[in-house]
Amino acid sequence: MKKTISIDHLARIEGNGSLIATIDGQVVTEVKFLINEGPRLIERLAVGKTPEEDVSLAPRICAICTLSHKNAVIRAMENALEIKVPPKITLLRELMHLGEFIESHSLHLYYLALPDYVGFPNAIAMASRFPFEVKIALEMKQFGNHIMKVLSGRFIHGENPVIGGFGRYPTKEELMFIKARAIQFMPFVHKTTELFCSLPYPDIPEEETIFACCEPGNGQYGLWGDEILVSTGEKIYRDDYPKLTNEFLVPHSTAKRSRYQGRTYTVGAQARINLLGERLKGEAEKMFRRFYNDRWKRNPLFQNPAQAIEIMYCFERIPEVIDEIFKYPQDPGIVSYTIKNGKGTGLVEAPRGLLIHHYEIKDGRITYADIITPTAQNADEIERYCLLAAQKLLEQGKEELIKDRLELIVRAFDPCVSCSAHLVEVRKIEENDWPKKLEQIRATNPIIIGLGSLGHGDDEAGLLVVTHLKRNGYVEAYWEEEVIDDETFWTKAEDHPIIFVDVLNFGAEAGKVTLIPLNHLLWNTSLTHRLMPTLLAWLTPEMIKKSYFLGIQPASLKANHLSSPVFEAIKKIVNGLKK
Amino acid sequence: MGKIKIGIYELTGCAGDALLILDCESQLLDIFQAADIEAFLMAKSDNSHGPVDVALVEGSVTTEEEKEELLAIRDRAEIVIAIGNCACEGGIQAALTASENWSKEFRQVYQDLKLTNVKPIPSQPIDAFIKVDYYLPGCPIGQEQFLTTFTRLLAGHPPELYRFPVCMECKWRENDCLLNKNLACLGPLTKGGCGAVCPSHNLPCIGCWGPAEEANRSAEFKLLLEKGFDLESIKRRMAIYAGTTIVDFFNQLKKEKS
Repeated sequence: MKKTISIDHLARIEGNGSLIATIDGQVVTEVKFLINEGPRLIERLAVGKTPEEDVSLAPRICAICTLSHKNAVIRAMENALEIKVPPKITLLRELMHLGEFIESHSLHLYYLALPDYVGFPNAIAMASRFPFEVKIALEMKQFGNHIMKVLSGRFIHGENPVIGGFGRYPTKEELMFIKARAIQFMPFVHKTTELFCSLPYPDIPEEETIFACCEPGNGQYGLWGDEILVSTGEKIYRDDYPKLTNEFLVPHSTAKRSRYQGRTYTVGAQARINLLGERLKGEAEKMFRRFYNDRWKRNPLFQNPAQAIEIMYCFERIPEVIDEIFKYPQDPGIVSYTIKNGKGTGLVEAPRGLLIHHYEIKDGRITYADIITPTAQNADEIERYCLLAAQKLLEQGKEELIKDRLELIVRAFDPCVSCSAHLVEVRKIEENDWPKKLEQIRATNPIIIGLGSLGHGDDEAGLLVVTHLKRNGYVEAYWEEEVIDDETFWTKAEDHPIIFVDVLNFGAEAGKVTLIPLNHLLWNTSLTHRLMPTLLAWLTPEMIKKSYFLGIQPASLKANHLSSPVFEAIKKIVNGLKK
Repeated sequence: MGKIKIGIYELTGCAGDALLILDCESQLLDIFQAADIEAFLMAKSDNSHGPVDVALVEGSVTTEEEKEELLAIRDRAEIVIAIGNCACEGGIQAALTASENWSKEFRQVYQDLKLTNVKPIPSQPIDAFIKVDYYLPGCPIGQEQFLTTFTRLLAGHPPELYRFPVCMECKWRENDCLLNKNLACLGPLTKGGCGAVCPSHNLPCIGCWGPAEEANRSAEFKLLLEKGFDLESIKRRMAIYAGTTIVDFFNQLKKEKS
């Protein structure tokens, strides 16, 4: 029985995306986060432009994070052209960034996320029961917008920030107003943070992951830096960013994907709070100490309270920043600079996570551009958590919850699909079509590796498949013991897809077969995955991506003999694989 | 008579125009009360695909799927309004359409990947496929022009759109002319409505609202040349936000020169 749950046109996210989950019996075999935005080729548009033209062009990638893009591209250009700006300019850029965080986080939390937790289709409908919250949200968002407008010139795509400074500097009165208003907001901010920190976040899915964000330096919390901090402890210098992202393409998305050492990772407020939360001060620190716990490391829905704590951070930081700005009464204008050849990377934290801009400049023109957005980095992580959640709910017999839960997860990541790139489809396979899939993989000359042990009933199934294949003249079929220590084998194997064959308890009738992409199996803790770590160590991320796991539902692992349904399954598999 | 039905749709772009509508915080609840918002994907999940009186379409067409969606929107809408530079001109992404090297550029980014979810095509403004009744230009659109248009539509009147270049707004604000300060400002060639925001911040206009329709472009170009500005850089800068519409003009300019 194959079934799909699909959410087309994910609503209440920014841009056009959808999610498809495929269910085969008791296994979720596939989750795809589809980014359906048309390709805009922004990185190619940048080529041939001057650095100044690109500073206007690149933020057009996204209206929500327009100022994050602005700060990232400016940082990249100033690094490439070796421009140093006076502290007042850096402080004003930070203020502008804080405005965007307030605007984006309040929009996401109240308008996009909260309706799910209180059972309304949208924030306007929610206004009838929560008039106060909806009003706060509007005012907070308006305040964020106000800061952005004062600093950047308009709400969206403001052009006032330029390489080397600002076209116009805000007046003392404008800054005083922002400071006073930020202080006035504090009671509302408290209410917001408490509300989102105490919502009942469901405990599916929960699993540890890797986090990455900018290292702001000086032991401070902050929204940009010259290094990337990874939860493994690694620090990556800005120009070495591909060590983190390792971008690759997938056919179901116009946005590229990222993996760190072959593993998916999370960026965004949750990453920042987990990595930098200990550095918070004031009321934000109190909130962090009161609400933070281990679940914040495992459950992507905690992106929401993490954003709420950041709203508090922003409101506390604004008066500090403005007081510092007042120490520099002189407006520095635009720092003069000369155009030269060079390369530069700009790292900032956009509200939804790490944003990277990298450019190469030659003879006054951009010759290469690379832009990596937070949603592109989170896309694989979204698929992984959705798969986990769908599998867990399926096992608990709560299939009817899958669709809504997946929407909740996707939305928590606050994906901004226009960056790269509407919502959830769950497919249940009506007729198991593994023979057809196997036939397709067969055409790519896969290596078959049989796993298992003799004398434990059905556990020898994987080994028997290989034995029969060998007898039928299939060259690339091996028992696990043949290859486990053979380095030459694994070097040679790099160019081929690998199919691991083993028994797998996926809650179906004995003898049922399922074919799962290997990376899905690795994400899936609830399935008894029996792949030995020593075996996995040989596999590169590239190999994992194209490899599969062919699982046979055993009848018993204790009996002395192979059960007859499993024997029938072995015959079918061997017939499907031999020429 | 019931409330007028409005649909807000997003094709490919940065979603800035839809966001700008959400950014009308003080008027937002009024907007949702005064009209039935039938579809607004960014703001609500209960979206309908029924007939509407007014469809506001943001973004350019960059996939076959979007073309189909756009044709369906035209079929069920009385009035279609293009909102924002992408819908009106094709957007920054249309610069490659005009360059005729689109497939090559596409391969530079996506290599030989066969996308399974969408069929990409070079970016086009929406009037390349359907009849458009009104255009609200801007990158993003202006709140003032959007709200005026919205209230006129509510009252059953056709919108009155601005027909002047950025320079006019500079004059109203009594800004010093940046061309006189030797800054290559695109104000004379660009649609007004933004409030001359860049020149008011001492920065030259970048042309993001698209080329002004009634400007005597050839004469403006001559003036800019006489003032000693570099023609190639003016053309390159204009082309960034002028989408497909500027190509004919550049051809005409070439003829005049020869």
